[in-house]
Amino acid sequence: MFAYYLQLGLRSLRKNPLLTLLMVLAIGCGVAASMTTYSVFRATSNNPIPQKSSQLYVPQIDNWGPDSSKDNKGEPPNAMTYTDAVNLMRDKRAKRQTALYPTAVSIVPADASMLPFRETSYGWYADAFGMFDIPFQYGQGWTAGEDESHASVAVIGKALNEKLFNGGNSVGKNINLNGRDYRIVGVADKWNPEPVFYDVTNTNGFDDPIQVFIPFTRAVELKTPTSGNNNCNHDPGKGWDEWIRSECVWLGFWAELPTKAEADAYRQYLNGYSAEQQRAGRFRWAPNTRLRNVVEWLDYQKVVPQEAKVSLMVSLGFLLICLVNTVGLLLAKFMRRSSEIGVRRALGATRREIYIQFLIEAAAIGLAGGVVGLLLTGLGVMGVSLVFEPDIAKLATLDVSLVLLTVLVAILATVLAAFYPTWRAAQVQPAWQLKSN
Amino acid sequence: MLQIKPILAALKRHKAGTVLIALQIALTLAIVCNALFIISQRLDRVHRPTGLVESDLMAIQNRFVGTEENNAAPLIKADLAALRQLPGVQDVVAVNSYPLRGGGWSTGVRTDVDAKDSKAHTTQYFGDEHTLATMGVRLVEGRNFRSDEIVEADPQAIPDPAAIIVSKALADKMYPDGHALGKTLYIGDSKKPSTIVGIVERLQVPWNGTWSDSFYENSLIQPVQLTSAFTNYLIRAKPGQLGDVLKAAPAALVKVNRMRVIPSDRGVRTFAEVREHAYKGDRGMAILMGVVCLVLLGITAAGIVGLTSFWVGQRRKQIGVRRALGATKHDILSYFLTENLLIGVAGVVIGALLAIAMNLWLVTQYEMARLSVPYVLVGVAALLLLGQGATLAPAMRASRVPPVEATRSV
Amino acid sequence: MLKMTHLSKVYRTEVVETYALRDFNINVNEGEFVAVTGPSGSGKTTFLTIAGLLETFTGGQYHLDGVEVSNLNDNERSKIRNEKIGFIFQAFNLIPDLNVYDNVEVPLRYRGMKSPERKDRIMNALERVGLASRAKHYPAELSGGQQQRVAIARALAGSPRLLLADEPTGNLDTQMARGVMELLEEIHREGATIVMVTHDPELAARAQRNVHIIDGQVVDLAEDPRFHHAVHSARANSPA
Repeated sequence: MFAYYLQLGLRSLRKNPLLTLLMVLAIGCGVAASMTTYSVFRATSNNPIPQKSSQLYVPQIDNWGPDSSKDNKGEPPNAMTYTDAVNLMRDKRAKRQTALYPTAVSIVPADASMLPFRETSYGWYADAFGMFDIPFQYGQGWTAGEDESHASVAVIGKALNEKLFNGGNSVGKNINLNGRDYRIVGVADKWNPEPVFYDVTNTNGFDDPIQVFIPFTRAVELKTPTSGNNNCNHDPGKGWDEWIRSECVWLGFWAELPTKAEADAYRQYLNGYSAEQQRAGRFRWAPNTRLRNVVEWLDYQKVVPQEAKVSLMVSLGFLLICLVNTVGLLLAKFMRRSSEIGVRRALGATRREIYIQFLIEAAAIGLAGGVVGLLLTGLGVMGVSLVFEPDIAKLATLDVSLVLLTVLVAILATVLAAFYPTWRAAQVQPAWQLKSN
Repeated sequence: MLQIKPILAALKRHKAGTVLIALQIALTLAIVCNALFIISQRLDRVHRPTGLVESDLMAIQNRFVGTEENNAAPLIKADLAALRQLPGVQDVVAVNSYPLRGGGWSTGVRTDVDAKDSKAHTTQYFGDEHTLATMGVRLVEGRNFRSDEIVEADPQAIPDPAAIIVSKALADKMYPDGHALGKTLYIGDSKKPSTIVGIVERLQVPWNGTWSDSFYENSLIQPVQLTSAFTNYLIRAKPGQLGDVLKAAPAALVKVNRMRVIPSDRGVRTFAEVREHAYKGDRGMAILMGVVCLVLLGITAAGIVGLTSFWVGQRRKQIGVRRALGATKHDILSYFLTENLLIGVAGVVIGALLAIAMNLWLVTQYEMARLSVPYVLVGVAALLLLGQGATLAPAMRASRVPPVEATRSV
Repeated sequence: MLKMTHLSKVYRTEVVETYALRDFNINVNEGEFVAVTGPSGSGKTTFLTIAGLLETFTGGQYHLDGVEVSNLNDNERSKIRNEKIGFIFQAFNLIPDLNVYDNVEVPLRYRGMKSPERKDRIMNALERVGLASRAKHYPAELSGGQQQRVAIARALAGSPRLLLADEPTGNLDTQMARGVMELLEEIHREGATIVMVTHDPELAARAQRNVHIIDGQVVDLAEDPRFHHAVHSARANSPA
């Protein structure tokens, strides 16, 4: 019976090729617009580290007080001072934790014919490698002891290892950063979380993968400036030493807290720490702290670009209009056949059978719309770079799940749109429909 | 001839089709209005002048390697000297930032030393006496910096300058009476006054996002040559020689000193490229919204054509009867056009309300401005015209139904 | 009132030419009630559509109310239909989307008449056919006979000089048909010119004059004994 209905549906579609084409194109356009923008939305709203997103937390401490936070809905600054970061590291209340910042270092190749170049580089603590589940191709991260001794060690990324050492095991070799040698202790395998949750404040969530990791302690000792943001509420004074002791915020901080109990304990600790700073006279306000996990942090930092949200909304509106359009056209198409329906009913077709016949016809239109939509989505995904930064645009891809989703959405949407026209068609009374008006 | 009442009576008997067309027009209007509004806002932003003479201008981003972070003064001096010697170069300056670069410094400024809150927010540019000439900004009052006013400074220890040049927008904001020249400002937390010695017509901030919209022309130039290892060279080529300088300048820099990084992507750019990159998102969003509008209008028009054709087909007989009873072709044409107009008016009324509601929602969710009435009116007019246009073909077909159709059975 | 001389109507398809009317001559005087009869396919409906300016003809001449109509354009033809001709169709042809009042109003609207006058005329016409109380009803809510009376009211409302009826009782049962026929006779007595196409000899017999069409031509009734007999017997049975 299904085959019969499908045959009827296809025959009917061929009968009004223009109307059919209109519907297929409308559905195709609507679905393609939605899927293209959804591909961007999906990439930007991705959970970059799902296995740990509920265990990794960003603490925030209000070191500027209500004068500043009142402009920001009472929220503490997005980054941390050197003072607080070092204190939190010293207290060691989390399973693992790290302060971090993007370091402005350049790589000086040993080969004198190559010019110096830059790669994304971070200074952080030994704990970070384990916290962020960073895979290693060769060697491993440095030790906590090397953090304390401000050792000149480095971990480099796979791509940089390819470039400098042709992909060989470079552990034990040296790399020259800003004119100083660092001993390579490990080569990280491909590690490219998207969005780059570990440093949202400086990257807005999208950046090239890190290729150079050096100990935070060493970087600070060498007065390596941040290549990220630095925000001050007051003049920090003159020079590096005054700056790192100032209330300027420029550091990221992450703590690994595997259980809810540990997270609650850490929250209390943060408040206790702030209260202590208040007693010491540094803060002249009550503790104001936050502790957000990966998902909450990405949401709070609005990692999904405004463009992605607005265009997704607009596209969904677009799809809705296409569906309204389809309802109208299907209604026209089905009602034009009311005499056929009356005759079929007179010949013994039940309402149910009329329903099935017309819904299958609609599904066939939806399928065709899905195929058209797929082609247009392919074009759309290619055009994403028109609107979004290359860092984001390259994440929007037409993969298997998007292909399936496109076709599925097209069929479901069309069948949904067909319900009303089908209901109307099924209301036609069995009769030898002769009256023309 | 208008025949509104009987048309309304007839429409009441075709509720589903009527509601569908009206709904489609309403939703389309809501989206098109907001899309048009987004387009115009983005384009307004793209067309904001920087205040610079942008032709023959280029920028190089440079970072010295292996030197102490804030002690690069001699290196910068050597670079500037080398660049100024290049044949095609008219002028060069080493600055911390420039309009549309995307990153830079900003601070609050006060006119009263004891004021707790700043009176305005402004960007800070640091550069020597070549800054105005290289950028091509127009001095409208006062004077340029003298070379003896320029100081070298570590970016983490910048002395409060005695003389500053400000943009007219900042001058007017600080001294609304229009007499800012010669008056003083306090930069950031400083207790030391800085005197305004010059006012430039216009100088945009380095950012072009919404966050800087409130102060996008507030600029302040300090007579400071930063000694940071990270610097930006702005180079003005002699007219027509930008192409040569674009190749010669980076080569000359590497010749002076190899220990530097000029990023391979975006390290050397003409100002046209700077502008294009800065506004890529705005332009893209405008294009996207434009495409959405066009496709949407197309689909809505197609939907109207489809449903009207269906109605015409369904009513062939009564069109014949009307013709038999004396309706002219024009009467039939105007019947369908009026019918569409009535549905369209209902649609645009709902649509205008939807458009405003949608905009209000967008305003609460995102940093968007309030929709202004002209956009709604343009959208309303566009959709009514679209509806009439889309109805025209089926209505013409209806008007060609011969009167003899009335006598045919089925 | 209505005069056709040597009129012809040819339907052309790619392969054949079919004469629907051939050297067709007829003259209907002011105030006459003429019945046009003939077998199916004889051309009587074609005659009516041409008479009512619903279709053009191929050759010959047609004077309506003294005007030669073959050179009129579409708008002029519409105007004549609207002002001089009233139609009564076999299938009633009421507009289903409009109620009784609005249906009767249709031709008056096209005449550009002012609202108060329209209202007078509509109510008069509806009273005349005895349906004033049904003004707000939709056609689907009326019986066949009532629908045809609405159609007659619609034809009468514009006070046409010529009423054209195409099988006006064809879709009605005997009882209703009789009512409609009596109404037509009454209208005729009041001075209207009526041309009625029918294949029913009993109805034809009630007209003043019969015109018989066979194969697109008017034939002399006296030469067709079958019809002569039918008319004769109908007259004999008729109560009038």
